[in-house]
Amino acid sequence: MTRPSALSAGPLRPLLGARMPTVATAVLLVATVAASAVLQDGFFTPYGLTSNFAAVLPVAIVTVGQVIVVLGGGIDLSIGTIVTLSSVVTVQLVAGQPDRLPLALGAGLLVGVGCGLVNGLAVAVVRLQPIVATFASSFVFAGLALLILPTPGGEVPSLVTLGYRQVIARAIPVPAVLLLLLWLAWRAVLAHRFGRHVYAVGGNEGAAYASAVPVTAVRLLSYVAGGTFAALAGFALLANSGSGDPFLGNSLTLTSIAALVIGGTRLSGGAGGAGGAIVGAVVLVLIQSLVFFARVPTTARELVTGAIIIVAIALAGLLTARGRGAGP
Amino acid sequence: MTPFLEMRGVHKRYGGVVAADGADFSAERGEVHALLGPNGSGKSTLLKVLTGVVAPDAARVAIDGRPLSVRGPRDALRAGVAAVYQELSLVDELSVLDNLVLGVEPARRLGFLDRGRARAAARPALDRFAEAFGGRPPAEAPVRDLAPGERQLVEICKALVREPSILVLDEATASLRSGQVEVLLSVVRELADRGVLVVFTSHRLAEVQRISQRATIMRGGRTVATVPIPQTDEGELVRLMVGELAAPKREDRRGGPAERQVRLKVSNLAADRVHDVSFSVRAGEVLGVGGLQGQGQSELLATLFGVLRRRNGTVRVDGADVHASSPAQAVAAGFAYVPGNRATEGLLLRRPLVENLALPSLGRRSRLRLPLSRARELASAREAAVRVNARYGSLDEPAGSLSGGNQQKAVVGKWLPGRPRIVLMDDPLKGIDVGAKAELFDLVRGLAADGAAVVLSSSDDRELTEVCDRVLVMFEGRVTGELSGPELTEDALLASALQVHGNGP
Repeated sequence: MTRPSALSAGPLRPLLGARMPTVATAVLLVATVAASAVLQDGFFTPYGLTSNFAAVLPVAIVTVGQVIVVLGGGIDLSIGTIVTLSSVVTVQLVAGQPDRLPLALGAGLLVGVGCGLVNGLAVAVVRLQPIVATFASSFVFAGLALLILPTPGGEVPSLVTLGYRQVIARAIPVPAVLLLLLWLAWRAVLAHRFGRHVYAVGGNEGAAYASAVPVTAVRLLSYVAGGTFAALAGFALLANSGSGDPFLGNSLTLTSIAALVIGGTRLSGGAGGAGGAIVGAVVLVLIQSLVFFARVPTTARELVTGAIIIVAIALAGLLTARGRGAGP
Repeated sequence: MTPFLEMRGVHKRYGGVVAADGADFSAERGEVHALLGPNGSGKSTLLKVLTGVVAPDAARVAIDGRPLSVRGPRDALRAGVAAVYQELSLVDELSVLDNLVLGVEPARRLGFLDRGRARAAARPALDRFAEAFGGRPPAEAPVRDLAPGERQLVEICKALVREPSILVLDEATASLRSGQVEVLLSVVRELADRGVLVVFTSHRLAEVQRISQRATIMRGGRTVATVPIPQTDEGELVRLMVGELAAPKREDRRGGPAERQVRLKVSNLAADRVHDVSFSVRAGEVLGVGGLQGQGQSELLATLFGVLRRRNGTVRVDGADVHASSPAQAVAAGFAYVPGNRATEGLLLRRPLVENLALPSLGRRSRLRLPLSRARELASAREAAVRVNARYGSLDEPAGSLSGGNQQKAVVGKWLPGRPRIVLMDDPLKGIDVGAKAELFDLVRGLAADGAAVVLSSSDDRELTEVCDRVLVMFEGRVTGELSGPELTEDALLASALQVHGNGP
């Protein structure tokens, strides 16, 4: 499991540790894990861990994609529909046959990159407002997904679904390993010039431009990165569910935004990071399953989940405001 | 012989405002060349055309005889031009080191950052300025944690890391203390000796005279003259800059308000970086707050205005206890606040001037829950603009289209309709040219003459001696000295600020 404190200890501390409300995020993590351990039978068994990590991973991947876009000063309201579109393309192409996996995965990834490119061109080159541009493109992506797979269906090779739920060395679920890889991928972004430029563009666009940072390219690439992570999240969802669905990932857009806010990323850009956002994704998924395990009536579930999420976001916000010295 | 840098026929309009109207500029390698001119004379525009930040409507630029097409800062950087801007180009969330190499990050294969080489590249500049930082520069600290003067130093180091052949310093000394300025000036001399062309703008003419060999003077978007500095005295420079306007006179207006009533009485005030501060200001008095930079002056004013939380002490306005815990409460108690950073705290740069001027008094006029009256809003905004003598195209233009000095006048003007009893000003004259400064001086004195008590902090000792009746000297959050009357001189202020420094921890 990744913790924000692990991030803030390294040489990148000035980049990450500063505004990240480590305390708030950690408190929420401990609280939700503790509540889950009480309410969810067998939470700490290999089976329990596997199913929880399996549910967390897709959300965490989308959130990392959204974090990159938001850090760069943008927002991607189409990211959930990119998840859907690339997953239906993948599931249609693979058609249950393991030997078609490379082709299907490659095509799915390409769809994610392409969708990100469309968003990036609209925002960075045509200079449309990110909220409007990606809201509009979300309908295009969702519509395409419906054309490609009108009803739920399609088959994922059992090799994938079984592999996704494997447990290595009796204790380590495969999705947990993948989550670790996700975090390492984020560290690679941070260690790259692109990551530095994303923070600069989102933190102070004028300063970045005057410092010869290629602002347009950075912004464009941030959306491409968002689309790429969305495609990867689509694969994780397919592996978890075993079949396709034309609405599979649509709800992930707002989930990803909520998760990154809980994880301490500033919505106006330039501050935060994926470490906290991944924890935010864990917290959100656990809250959703907690409501289920607490036997809240089906009709009231959305209401209760929403209320808990608001409290979580408020807690993160309050603790962040405390930790920050008010300037004159 | 063609000059090393040559700019010809630089034209630039912003909406209806002509910023550069065929300006020319040329300078030689190894020269420190001052660029002077009042507000809106086109200096900044000319420099931004050179550095690629602003695209001119027309211009011919050549370096070393080679025509240069600058489409953005990247092209300028490639041509060897680096700049220190008046409005800082730092990213708050990134560390000092990351800011120093921003845009030119040393990288290994595939673009992965090489922090070792980044440190090595930043080291010489940071070491050179170590003395100005007052010790080891905090390379890993986020820029957001630095004091304004330190940020300015980082900005300068950032330009040096780019190893320019043309270095542009646009008001680089505005927020520096004299010791820091000395370090900068000696670095400038070294660079010039090594053949770098340094283009230097400053409103402190004394610095210009010490450091430059030649000066080009601009007015109204055009180049007026290029003069050799040693042969041109300060008065002549001012005359060239302001044209028909008279140079500001140092008037002796001290003494007088001693018999008037105490308007503001502060006792044992404590807050973040403010310790046990007591003073009182009479109606009609201008009280200065000086000392080395970042000794709690800004925090003191922000605490009085309810921006920072007060931990202890009392504040009395006309004898009545005031405990303002928000700016709205402070305004209700008669305070007005002119912040040092007009762009972030003083004005809504994108909104029309009329809205800015009317904003603080909105509450006053909408008390009856009637919709705002556009006519009354315009009338009161126009009156305020006239009183502060702000020059603008139209009240409907965004405040950001005004030049720096006129923006600052607008920040003062917006408080006038509310008739403030106490005006707090946090370094309001920073980076403002001579002509506008004189007008703002008059404005400050005018506020005092109308019965307001003015508390003004400044990083420029000369300003304090010119405009204040009395000056408090702060050190590490405490008031450690007070000067007034004949004792109030630049020398005495500096001595008072430094003597404390000597005795300090």
